[in-house]
Amino acid sequence: MQATKPTVGIFGLTGCAGDQLVILNCEDELLSLVDVVDIRDFLMAASGGDEFSTLDIAFVEGAVMTRRDEEKLQRIRRRAKALVAIGTCALQGGVPAMADGLDWPSAVRDVYGPEGDGFDALPARALHECVEVDFSLPGCPIEKHEFLGAVADLLNGNPPQLPTYAVCTECKMRECDCLLVDQGRFCHGPLTRAGCRARCPSYAVPCVGCRGPVPDPNLGSAMDVYTSKGWSPEEVVQRLRTFGPLPTPVPAGEAA
Amino acid sequence: MTRTIRVEHLARVEGHGGITVTLDGERVESVHFDVIEGARLLERLVRSRRYDEIAPIVSRICAICSAAHSLTSLQATEAALGIEVSPTTRLLRDLMLRGENIESHALHIFLLAAPDYLDYPSAIAMAGRHRDAVALGLRLKRLGNMIQEVLGGRAIHPVNAVVGGFGHPPSTEELVALEDALESGVSDALTATEFVASLPTADFCDTETTFAALETPERYGYADGKHITVRRSGTAQRIPIADYRSLTNERVVPHSHAKHSLYDEQPFMVGALARLAVNGGGLTEAARSVMRTLELQLPSRNPMDNNKAQTVELILDIELALGIVRRLLSTDLHDTAPAPIVPRAGTGTAVTEAPRGLLVHSYTYDADGRIARADVITPTAMNAASLEHHFQDAVTRGAALDDAALRKRLEMIARAYDPCISCSVHLIRRRFEGRRP
Repeated sequence: MQATKPTVGIFGLTGCAGDQLVILNCEDELLSLVDVVDIRDFLMAASGGDEFSTLDIAFVEGAVMTRRDEEKLQRIRRRAKALVAIGTCALQGGVPAMADGLDWPSAVRDVYGPEGDGFDALPARALHECVEVDFSLPGCPIEKHEFLGAVADLLNGNPPQLPTYAVCTECKMRECDCLLVDQGRFCHGPLTRAGCRARCPSYAVPCVGCRGPVPDPNLGSAMDVYTSKGWSPEEVVQRLRTFGPLPTPVPAGEAA
Repeated sequence: MTRTIRVEHLARVEGHGGITVTLDGERVESVHFDVIEGARLLERLVRSRRYDEIAPIVSRICAICSAAHSLTSLQATEAALGIEVSPTTRLLRDLMLRGENIESHALHIFLLAAPDYLDYPSAIAMAGRHRDAVALGLRLKRLGNMIQEVLGGRAIHPVNAVVGGFGHPPSTEELVALEDALESGVSDALTATEFVASLPTADFCDTETTFAALETPERYGYADGKHITVRRSGTAQRIPIADYRSLTNERVVPHSHAKHSLYDEQPFMVGALARLAVNGGGLTEAARSVMRTLELQLPSRNPMDNNKAQTVELILDIELALGIVRRLLSTDLHDTAPAPIVPRAGTGTAVTEAPRGLLVHSYTYDADGRIARADVITPTAMNAASLEHHFQDAVTRGAALDDAALRKRLEMIARAYDPCISCSVHLIRRRFEGRRP
């Protein structure tokens, strides 16, 4: 039924475009996906997008880092029935938000020189700090199976479901060696939301926390484990900030 | 009479950019390639971070080039800390970069560039009448991603490549699956050549172009080079990679009031077409045959030829990747495990060939193995001056055309450069100055 296909927009604010690339990387599903949805606006893949019509679903990646980003996000919010934040930058600011507490104007000057003073450059903000967000898909980048699952859920009127447990659970299920307890390496697994099948530990590489915090992270207990392995509290805090502010309970509006 | 041609948001490229050209009659007054991407300050943010944290952070500069950013970062760190990696590690990294190049070129040729030639707004729209071509592009793209997944653990922002080696080397089963996929990839790449050869001609520029690419010890390699070669008018100059600043220095030019990367007073182009100009001696017989089929003459005077050069690299990368996989199948891969790291103060610079051209990472570490200074220069930043040079040539030649026709040519030239605007860490400075009263 051509006329009744749900309308979709895919957008990027400031970021690496990795979440949009994950969508383009659905090589086996892409052509069937466009058979069931009408992609109206996807600047990274199509020119001449329709910038005004109502969208049943808007997927937005990236952090808000310019006034232009903020205006664009507000325009998307006005035309979208459901706004889905995709990727860790959209959910919590991502790597550019690691500078929590940094004097932003002087950091801009540090990288761009005196010309940076007049530049449209703001500290990274998550989408939910600017507009209401209906659903969120974490990951840096998002997982293909979670994106396709979310599209199917939304088309069927169901909220997308995410794991509510930590990467450690998936790591144990895969029977990987524990890099933190056994080897004392800095692994974000205990605090990070599962869904990646413990990808990094399965390669004997510590988790870097790219999917953001699990709901209700136990920061105090994690700090005890890290310091018992010889990591200073300052180092622990710096590392836990790699993909945004320190873990806090997840933002409102997220499907749990 | 003055007229202004603007492309507000350039579609079908990575990141956010625009084009502004002003003409007075048929005389070009100014050309600008504008960057409207936020500043993420990643070079500043990695300061005080330890050597093991850097590659995962800087790979986030760009998704499409994340393997190149990750591996260039690892090499710069290894150079600074005095770490030697095993020949097998170098081979695995070489394979990973070829996987990224295959994915990136297939995405660019079929999904981003081809719709212009056939007058479609997107590959999705193009799939209506050209479903086989789009499916072919997606298959080649998936092949590149498969290589990156096997080696890097993930197609975007790889996790398995670490300082000193790899977390886990690929298994024999994975390598056998790659061998099979690459064998089918060879015939797909030849079909891709026929598709590209069938596209209408796009001769919008005819101007002498300077090219810069990395000279590498391996046949048509993408890493481990010690010199950059700059080629123009049959002359070649060599720059040691530690002196990369002498290539990428920025200067003010009168026509745009913007700083440009100029070498010897000339803009220079990096990317597939530049690699063919500098390293074309290392082509395989099949790649030479693709060049003949596409009627690609070197040195090129038309940046649209970059689309053809990427098509040549598709077959070349698939053939060379197949050779590497076969070698790996008869190699013991255990020497890819990283050795313990002893921090020390030092500076290291690495230059690689990312899909879009030369990529520089240069780091200074303190005695604890933490970053004191980081410098990243990307191909899109280097290409900006050359892109504007070609805009100028195309507008001068096409000044009699109407706005829509000129706009389309400008967009096609910009897309042929395959710009990656998220990558433009330094480029952003130019836009600000370009807008200054």
